[in-house]
Amino acid sequence: MNDFSELEGQLRKLRPAQPSPELTARIESALAGPETSPATAAVLKRERRFHFNWLPLGLGLAAATALVLFAFVRLHQQGAPEPGTASTTPAPAISTAQLVPAGLTQVVYHTRDEGVHFRSNSEQPMRRVRSHTRETLQWRNPKTGATLRISYPREEVSLIPVSGQ
Amino acid sequence: MENVPTDENWKTRFSQLAPGLVLFARQWTRSAADAEDVVQEAFVKFWRRNHDIGNRGLLYATVRSVALDLLRRDSRRARREATALSDSDQFVPPAFDVEDDSQRALVAALDLLPDEQREVLTLKIWNELTFAEIASALGISQNTVASRYRYALAALKKNLPST
Repeated sequence: MNDFSELEGQLRKLRPAQPSPELTARIESALAGPETSPATAAVLKRERRFHFNWLPLGLGLAAATALVLFAFVRLHQQGAPEPGTASTTPAPAISTAQLVPAGLTQVVYHTRDEGVHFRSNSEQPMRRVRSHTRETLQWRNPKTGATLRISYPREEVSLIPVSGQ
Repeated sequence: MENVPTDENWKTRFSQLAPGLVLFARQWTRSAADAEDVVQEAFVKFWRRNHDIGNRGLLYATVRSVALDLLRRDSRRARREATALSDSDQFVPPAFDVEDDSQRALVAALDLLPDEQREVLTLKIWNELTFAEIASALGISQNTVASRYRYALAALKKNLPST
């Protein structure tokens, strides 16, 4: 570490350029003004508030529910045949053996730290982390080896309180 | 809320911090004016919420966040500016007050550093943050901060003409 001390000394001698004298005055007027209008409104747009994208999750869950219901109804129908129905009907592609849950995988394939944000009506700064996940549910028919797999994307936004100390 | 902002309070502290804050913001902006806009918005946002100005990790995290937001939102504008700058070779005010050739060489070597190393060096040397504060501002571990700092110094030493 010590062999860098001379270099660190040279770096400390470098003085950052002074900001323009107007900067302090601009901040002063921004602080004096209403909170809702940032002084650099023309350049910096107001930050978007927390928003959870429910669409992919909703569609995925709806599809999963529909498929599970479909499988359930089919199994139920075959488990209790109507009296009088000809028993020579060939077995359907999905046999009467139950599909049993075989697995759930959640793969987080992208996580992005979107920096520190302030939520409305909150003094507490929060770090916003957005993650994209693919969830896969799987059922298996132990007799036939047939599998049913449902996969859907999921986007999640987490707000983590920042202590800063 | 023991830190109720007063005029002389923020002005005194801000005047001490301003050069380093603007230098830090300049890493993501193409001009000193943009960097000052970033510092202005970040400081106003930070101060309005009565945060303790001693909480420097959070102050620099706010500057970084505002700068990155600006970069994302105005990427098209930045591209236009980049093209315009390279086309017309406009004068860009230097980030440092350079006194001699050795300092000029040092600034040139700094420009060659990878962004993540220069970011740590800027916070450590010219803003005098501790490794813990830098880790908090950048959202990385202290070990990562320390290694980036060492890599930055090693790279600088390598890139500097031998004296």
